[in-house]
Amino acid sequence: MCLAVPMKITVIDGFLCTCEARGIEREVSLFMMRDDGLEIGDNILVHVGYAIQKVSEQEAAESWQLFDQMLAAEAQ
Amino acid sequence: MKDAAHWLEALRGLDIDRPVRIMNVCGGHERSISMAGLRTAIPDNIELIPGPGCPVCICPEEDVYEAIQIALNEDVTLVAFGDMLRVPVNVPKRESRTLEQAKAAGADIRPIASPTEAVRIANADPNRTVVFFAAGFETTTAPVAAMLAEGAPDNLLVLLSGRLTWPAVAMLLESETPGFDALIAPGHVSTVMGPEEWQFVIDQHHLPAAVAGFRPDTLLAAMYSVLEQLKTGRRCLDNCYPEVVRPGGNSIARQQLEEVMEVYDANWRGVGVIPKSGFRLREAYAAHDARRVFRSYADESRKRVGEMPPGCDCARVVLGKIYPNQCRLYGLACTPRKPIGPCMVSDEGACRIWWSSGYRERQSVA
Ligand code: SF4
Repeated sequence: MCLAVPMKITVIDGFLCTCEARGIEREVSLFMMRDDGLEIGDNILVHVGYAIQKVSEQEAAESWQLFDQMLAAEAQ
Repeated sequence: MKDAAHWLEALRGLDIDRPVRIMNVCGGHERSISMAGLRTAIPDNIELIPGPGCPVCICPEEDVYEAIQIALNEDVTLVAFGDMLRVPVNVPKRESRTLEQAKAAGADIRPIASPTEAVRIANADPNRTVVFFAAGFETTTAPVAAMLAEGAPDNLLVLLSGRLTWPAVAMLLESETPGFDALIAPGHVSTVMGPEEWQFVIDQHHLPAAVAGFRPDTLLAAMYSVLEQLKTGRRCLDNCYPEVVRPGGNSIARQQLEEVMEVYDANWRGVGVIPKSGFRLREAYAAHDARRVFRSYADESRKRVGEMPPGCDCARVVLGKIYPNQCRLYGLACTPRKPIGPCMVSDEGACRIWWSSGYRERQSVA
């Protein structure tokens, strides 16, 4: 529940956007980052469906590496 | 960027010659530490203690009871984050012990992953009242505030059980036996609230503190930072997660929390009331406040019985007083399949994290 994951913005529609990560699409609210001028292609940290911060491409990639490892470990 | 191996070597090079206990207050941190096996990688005299980092674990029993009763007795749809559905309350056998059991008994209860889902469910049937049982720390409560600030549908009520993390650490530090020498501050709470919230650890208690992210390298960097602070006597709130944690945090999120909610002295399950540690809805949002719209099912006597299930040591686990595997029920009566206490239910509970990371040995309390 507390885990926030980085996702990439693919569509923006007002305060809502569509994000993608690892082939999964989610609708995400940009309401808490509405002053940040977010654009398509930006990576955001998403927590319970809300963007809480912008992150770099590199940070996003590195976080996903970690999640993949954790998911793989948990699946065992 | 320096990698985990670098920080491990640096940490060993510090040559700390006394026992040091470093507390973390975030389920995500504990998960990375356990999964990556950091406890065995660092020197033996450095102990890593999971502290109050699980919002599900400390959600008052009477609040879960309230949610169950509202779902069973009022004509509503109740939605909650999935973890909350399996948290047990103390009731006689024939009654519903969890939201999951209340659902099986016929109540309309649905797990959600986001406040926006609650809005969608409420919009889908404007004639039906939807109650969102919202437990969580700052990172989760801010989106709930955003949902209300943005204008939630009239038929959507919130049963709020939001908590702030720093007051629990403050309470431990003000007690006679805090049980730790340094703090790793939570990354995503700081992303929203700003790292400045943790400055009191240094200013008022002269303890080293560092904000960490979730990868082993940033956690090890934070461990190195606090150990170096201990060694040199120098103190500063170090930010080892600058990629995401910025000064002041997310200002809109903080503003919305302030606008929609007020901070009050709130109960923590098994712990008691911690000053200024809870969020409740402001008067202006009374029409959305399930606590004002419905009568309370959880009376004062509830608050007294409402501790942990018999034999469950979650409260001491949450406060970092014992390790999960020092509970007498760990792995015996209590496993993720048949959890006795909230710390084994939640993904962020230390008992659950330890079990999933492969700690199977029980330990006696020294
Ligand atoms: S092992 Fe189970 S019973 Fe023991 S503290 Fe953890 S959740 Fe409670």
